[in-house]
Amino acid sequence: MVIREIFFYFFMITGGIFAAITVIGLIRFPDVYTRIHAAAVVLTISAFFLTIGIAIYVWDFYLSLKILLISLFFLISNPMATHSIARSSYRKKIALPAIRTIDAYSDFIGEDQ
Amino acid sequence: MKQKFLTFIIAFAIWIVFAGKITSDVLIIGVGAGLITTVFFHNMLLRSINHPKGWFNYFRVLLVVIVFIPVFFYEVLVAALKVSRHVIEKKPSFCPGIVKVKTKLTNITAITILANLITLTPGTLTLDFDIAERAYYIHWIDVRTREEVEARKEIIEQFEKWLEVIFR
Repeated sequence: MVIREIFFYFFMITGGIFAAITVIGLIRFPDVYTRIHAAAVVLTISAFFLTIGIAIYVWDFYLSLKILLISLFFLISNPMATHSIARSSYRKKIALPAIRTIDAYSDFIGEDQ
Repeated sequence: MKQKFLTFIIAFAIWIVFAGKITSDVLIIGVGAGLITTVFFHNMLLRSINHPKGWFNYFRVLLVVIVFIPVFFYEVLVAALKVSRHVIEKKPSFCPGIVKVKTKLTNITAITILANLITLTPGTLTLDFDIAERAYYIHWIDVRTREEVEARKEIIEQFEKWLEVIFR
C-alpha cells in the first residue's frame, strides 16, 4: 500500500516536472524545429509517466490495462505526428530552420540553402 | 489462414480489454468488429508468419523485446535530461542542424520502427527517408560532429543492433 503510493507520487511528480520543462522550452527556443524537440518529444515522456502513475493509482486490472494501452498509443502516435509536422513544414517552406550549422536535407530536395 | 486467425485473436483480446467486462452483447459486437478489422488489415500485423523457424521465432522476438524495453527507457530518459538542460540554461547553447545517416537495415518494418525510435529519443527528429540510398535525414538539436560515421555511431548504432537481432 505505502510502496504503491511512493511509486505513484514519484511518477506523477516526474511527469509534472517534465511537462513544465516542455512549456518553458516551447517559449524559449528560437525556431520551429527546436520547438518541436521541446514540445513533442519531452511531452511524450511526461505523458507516459503521468499515465503510468494513474495506472498505479487506480490499481484495478481492466482499468489499469486500459490506461497502459493508452500510453502505448502515445508512444506510437506521437513520433508520427511530430515527423509529419516537421517534414511538411520543411517541404512546403512554411518555416525553414533559423539556425543551422549543417543542412544535408536541402541537397536532397534539390535547392540551395 | 493462420495469419487471419491470429489477427482476429489479437483484435478480440484488445477489444475485451477496452470493454472491461464480458457479457453477451459485448462479445457479439467484439466478434463483428474483429471480423471487419481482420478482413481489411490481416496482412499488416503479422508479416513474418512464414519464417523458416516458425513459432520459435515469435518466442525469440518476444524475449528480445522484453530485454529491450528497460534499455530503451533508460536511453529515452537520459536524452530527455539532455534536452531539459538546454531548456533550463540561462542562454540556450546548442547548434541545431540536419545530418544524413545511412542505415544497414533492409526489412521495411525494421526501417519504420527505427525511424520511430529516433524520433522518440529526444534531441533527434527524423525528417525523411531516402529509399534509393537507404539514408535517414535527421534534425539534430546539438550537432557535435560533421562526420557521417561518428554521427551514425552517436545516434542510431545501438538501436540498429537491437533491431538487427529482432528482425533476423
